[in-house]
Amino acid sequence: MSTEQSRSYLTVRDLVVHFPTSDGVVKATDGLSYEVSRGKTLGIVGESGSGKSVSSSAILGLHRGTNAQVSGEILLDGVDLLTISDEEMRRKRGKDVAMIFQDPLSAMHPYYSVGNQIAEAYRVHNNVSRRAARARAIEMLDRVGIPQPSRRVDDYPHQFSGGMRQRAMIAMSLINDPGLLIADEPTTALDVTVQAQILDLLQDLQREFNSAIIIITHDLGVVAEMADDVLVMYGGRAVEYGPTAEILVRPEMPYTWGLLSSVPDVTGDVDAKLIPIPGNPPSLLHPPSGCAFHPRCTHRDKVPGNLCFTEMPELLPVADGRNHTKRCHLANPDEVYAVEVLPAIAPDLAEEQR
Amino acid sequence: MFAYIVRRAVIGVALLIVMSLVTFILFFSGAFDPARNACGKVCSPAQIEQTSKALGYDKPILTQWGSFLAGIVVGRDYPLDKKVREENPDLVTHCAAPCLGYSMVNTDTVNNVLKSAIPISVSIALVAFVFWIIGGLLFGIIAAMTKGSFLDRGIVGLSLIFYAFPTFVVGSLLLRFVAIKWQIFALPVYVPLTQSPGLWFTNLILPAVTLALFYMAAYARMSRAFIIEASTEDYVRTAKAKGVKKVPLMFKHTLRAALTPLVTMAGLDLAILLGGAIITEDVFGFHGLGLLAVTSNSRQDLPTIVGIVLLLSTFVIIANIVVDILYAYIDPRVRLD
Amino acid sequence: MTTNRRRVAVVGAIAALSVGALAACGGAGGSGGSSSSAAKGTLYYLTQTSAKPEHLDPQRVYIGRDITNLSRLVYRQLVTFPDSADKTAGVTPVPDLATNTGTSSNGAKTWQFTLKDGVKWQDGKAITCDDLKYGASRVFAQSVIPGGPNYLVAYLNIPTNKDGSSIYAGPYDKSAANQAGQAAFDKAVTCNGNTITYDFKKPWPDFPLAIAALHMMDPYRQDKDQGDKSNYSVFSDGPYELQGTWNQNTGGTFVRNPNYDAATDSTTVRKALPNKIVFQVTSDAETIADRLIADTGNDKNAVTDRSVPSSRFSQLNSDSVKSRLTSVSSPYIDYLQMNMKRLSNPLVRQALYEATSPQAWIDAGGGSKAYLPAHSIVNPVVHGYQPNPAFNAPLSGDAAKAKQLLQQAGVKTPYPINFMYEKTTTADKQAAALKSSWEQAGFKVTLTGIDADNYYSTIQKPSNNGDLYWAGWGADWPSAITVTPPLFDGRINLTKTSSQNDYGQYNSPAFNKLVDEAQNASTLDAQTTALQKADAQLGKDYAYVPLENQVFNLLHGSNVTNYLQTPSSNGYPDLGGINVK
Repeated sequence: MSTEQSRSYLTVRDLVVHFPTSDGVVKATDGLSYEVSRGKTLGIVGESGSGKSVSSSAILGLHRGTNAQVSGEILLDGVDLLTISDEEMRRKRGKDVAMIFQDPLSAMHPYYSVGNQIAEAYRVHNNVSRRAARARAIEMLDRVGIPQPSRRVDDYPHQFSGGMRQRAMIAMSLINDPGLLIADEPTTALDVTVQAQILDLLQDLQREFNSAIIIITHDLGVVAEMADDVLVMYGGRAVEYGPTAEILVRPEMPYTWGLLSSVPDVTGDVDAKLIPIPGNPPSLLHPPSGCAFHPRCTHRDKVPGNLCFTEMPELLPVADGRNHTKRCHLANPDEVYAVEVLPAIAPDLAEEQR
Repeated sequence: MFAYIVRRAVIGVALLIVMSLVTFILFFSGAFDPARNACGKVCSPAQIEQTSKALGYDKPILTQWGSFLAGIVVGRDYPLDKKVREENPDLVTHCAAPCLGYSMVNTDTVNNVLKSAIPISVSIALVAFVFWIIGGLLFGIIAAMTKGSFLDRGIVGLSLIFYAFPTFVVGSLLLRFVAIKWQIFALPVYVPLTQSPGLWFTNLILPAVTLALFYMAAYARMSRAFIIEASTEDYVRTAKAKGVKKVPLMFKHTLRAALTPLVTMAGLDLAILLGGAIITEDVFGFHGLGLLAVTSNSRQDLPTIVGIVLLLSTFVIIANIVVDILYAYIDPRVRLD
Repeated sequence: MTTNRRRVAVVGAIAALSVGALAACGGAGGSGGSSSSAAKGTLYYLTQTSAKPEHLDPQRVYIGRDITNLSRLVYRQLVTFPDSADKTAGVTPVPDLATNTGTSSNGAKTWQFTLKDGVKWQDGKAITCDDLKYGASRVFAQSVIPGGPNYLVAYLNIPTNKDGSSIYAGPYDKSAANQAGQAAFDKAVTCNGNTITYDFKKPWPDFPLAIAALHMMDPYRQDKDQGDKSNYSVFSDGPYELQGTWNQNTGGTFVRNPNYDAATDSTTVRKALPNKIVFQVTSDAETIADRLIADTGNDKNAVTDRSVPSSRFSQLNSDSVKSRLTSVSSPYIDYLQMNMKRLSNPLVRQALYEATSPQAWIDAGGGSKAYLPAHSIVNPVVHGYQPNPAFNAPLSGDAAKAKQLLQQAGVKTPYPINFMYEKTTTADKQAAALKSSWEQAGFKVTLTGIDADNYYSTIQKPSNNGDLYWAGWGADWPSAITVTPPLFDGRINLTKTSSQNDYGQYNSPAFNKLVDEAQNASTLDAQTTALQKADAQLGKDYAYVPLENQVFNLLHGSNVTNYLQTPSSNGYPDLGGINVK
């Protein structure tokens, strides 16, 4: 966790997002807490339906006007976004908090030119002429690496390649120099070769604009490259949270192990196994009893009694006081990981550690 | 795009030629004898034959059709008998190209008959169109923006009622109560736009409302559904995330997308109505193309029937092309591919 | 098609008989009240779109309402009917353009009329004998102006071609081929000063009745003739003239004709009281009834030819409406015609007649408000009307007798019959009522309702599979010669492709002989006697079954005075005397 800077730019405390439906309440996010500072990146990892996108939509206030029940605190630069008016929230959207979406083709309006859409983001928050906004849009397109930006500014989204569209999205989101940028699976829809370029671009821009970034992904590779901190989510809750180096090297929650096991490592050795997590993500409508992960956990028998079945573990600091919390009943996760998991997924690493 | 329009137009013309032939064949395969009808109440077979000859119905269908097509290109003169025309110049009616024929029943060229009916149908259709588009979209937007509220449910419920109500009932009720009983409006009579724009409009209100209510109901429900669907699009979420205000969000982002399917429907609905709103015209006694079609059919007036069929087909063909062009205008993905 | 009662009204003289039950003011009667004769404001005449006038050309107009309106306003005739409500006087010709009602000679084959002095066209020019002659010649121009009454073609003393058509093709054909025809016409119709003489090839004792009831013999100005283009032109010689042009979809306005000299006319024919008469073609009978019931604005000055639809009967009971309602019998008789080819057994036809309940049909169609019973296909006001002696069964039919007749006929029962009728909601109910009366007597009935557009063309096909047809007819002029011969003379009706007006393909030598006798009779009485015998023959053969005589229930506005529906106006409002407050 970044403690270098005096205080975090975004602090989320005990965030709850529930959707009442005719079948019952869907608990999309429950008791979520994290923080991000300017210039730092938080990676939020989890399967689809784990609540990672919902919680970031809540930061933007996109649930306002729907029947979603949102509670807790979202402090952005000290202001609780859940208590301000709709209009105040609208003024912050795109200005203080901006978002990049997964599929830039569907996220951009097909009927308006790229430049128009970028300029609109600027004009919403700045009282400038159309012409000035357009010049600013061209400048931003140039900044995100679109060639011949003054010509391409009038192109429509369908005339851009996937990578260019995502660059344009980034230009749109950064045009107002937001303090917080939420990138929701920013590279998922892109070619592998383009993915790296986009991530590089984000890092460059982060340095330039000193933004806080939340990057939502299911790809631990992205996290490893980008994030300072990692939050692993499962069933609408945080299950493991800590600095990236710590979480990736010494994960203590079987779900995180599962995520690590399912990442193919092209540089790793050929003995490494891909071990998918068995079963399906939990229902948010009727979550499992006890630990939400227990139906899929291969290590639940190592916990005495029926604890995994009956009691939800708290999100607690790990045993030796490292800057790292986890939600698991296992008494000796380090040992289990080193003995059972690591040799299977990364034999060479296991060898090294031994 | 231009080449595309030309291609469509050529196909359209070919279609019209085929349709005219089909109409000819269908007409003559009917059970009745148009000459018997034109002849009078008591006619000897010889007199019927004479009438048939005078109307040109004695010739083979293909010959009649051929003369008809030739008339479209070069025009025709009536009566058909050249000798009679030469000897009695006073009797001659010249029907300039594109001549659609001469209607014995209306004792005028089909062109003139259509010319007097078109402005009436077009007026009703256009005023109704404006009413229903404004009303339909307005109620659709309100319902979509207040989705699930009482207002929304009220609009949806009312539109169901109006959608289900037969036009002739609505028209008769409006006529009977609004015009005759309460005298809020004078009895509608068609006044040409060129004569008095004010009277033109006030006289069109009742017929246009009659016609518009049905479509307004349909369009309110459709636009509501399209808007709700469009508002779940990713790009609308993007716009919202940019901080775009509620009203521009609706009109610039959501509606623009929702409009696309509506434009197609509205274009074709309007084209069909330009060809006459049969029931509305009948109820209000407006002699537009719809009423003309009905009377021509019951009076077995082949030339007028053919003229109407071709005119209506032309409307629909043009509307299709216009809708395509509009589509391209609305959607750059179509335009720029 | 011309027998379609909704579209083509019938010409001729039908008395306005009182239908006591409904008529507040009784009979053909006027609205009573003050008979002020001072010239007044504007009268409105409302009619509906589907009944809009199809011709205003005198030689083409064939609709009773239009004939009487044109007579009263713009087209004077040699002789005409006065605006009398009396059932005899109303159908007895009086002089109009002519000095008397015509003199006949040569066994009613030659008729002579002399024009009055001082009768003028609307442009001030005198009406001449040549105008009369030119008008008559237009009747022959079937190929240019078809659709009008063409009796003259059969009567005038001009030779015919082999196919029965006249050798004369009318005034527009100036070819060599028509010169013989023109010469024959010039010989058959001659002018001597202001006296015109018509020479017929067979006796026409009822000629004055015919030309009083139709406009076919009206004068026509050759220099105004544009053939088919003149269809809606009106060149007047009456008290009014058309202002501007007639719009066939909306109507027209008639104003005073300054060149009309009332001294040459009779106030028993034309009082010409309103200053202006506006014809309005509007939507439908329901709307017209609603407007006249509401009685507001210009509608207070309105009359109509549209009978109140049965859907508005319930609104006629208030005093203010009742006093403005007049109910008279119409010129129409509705009847059933039997298919002689399919129902070839006379006993079966008689059984079918006995089984028929006209009462059931009347009751299903609105009862006595809508119909009077009929006892012949000939309307009661036609000269020489008498109930047909064959049709003496009770109005509700005699099922027992019918059963017995079927048994006597030796046919298998239930005997299958197919009834064809013009489909309307009311007609469906009426047909069902007939069906039940027939089935009680041992018939097995199929009902075939056919929509109006196709009805007559279907039953005119000789090969159709109907046994019995509904039809309606009215006389062209008040003589049965315009009823039974055009409907039952197989010689003029039956061709290979069409039965024309003889839907049942009746073709009886006995009947035809009586028709010939009537057509060759030189006196009205002899003609009438022959036609009475002819109708009796039809009854004997059970060629038809009379159903009913429709009733007109006409409303008028509260400012209308001297309201009158007369036999001479065919039961419609008689514009000869009507005035407005």
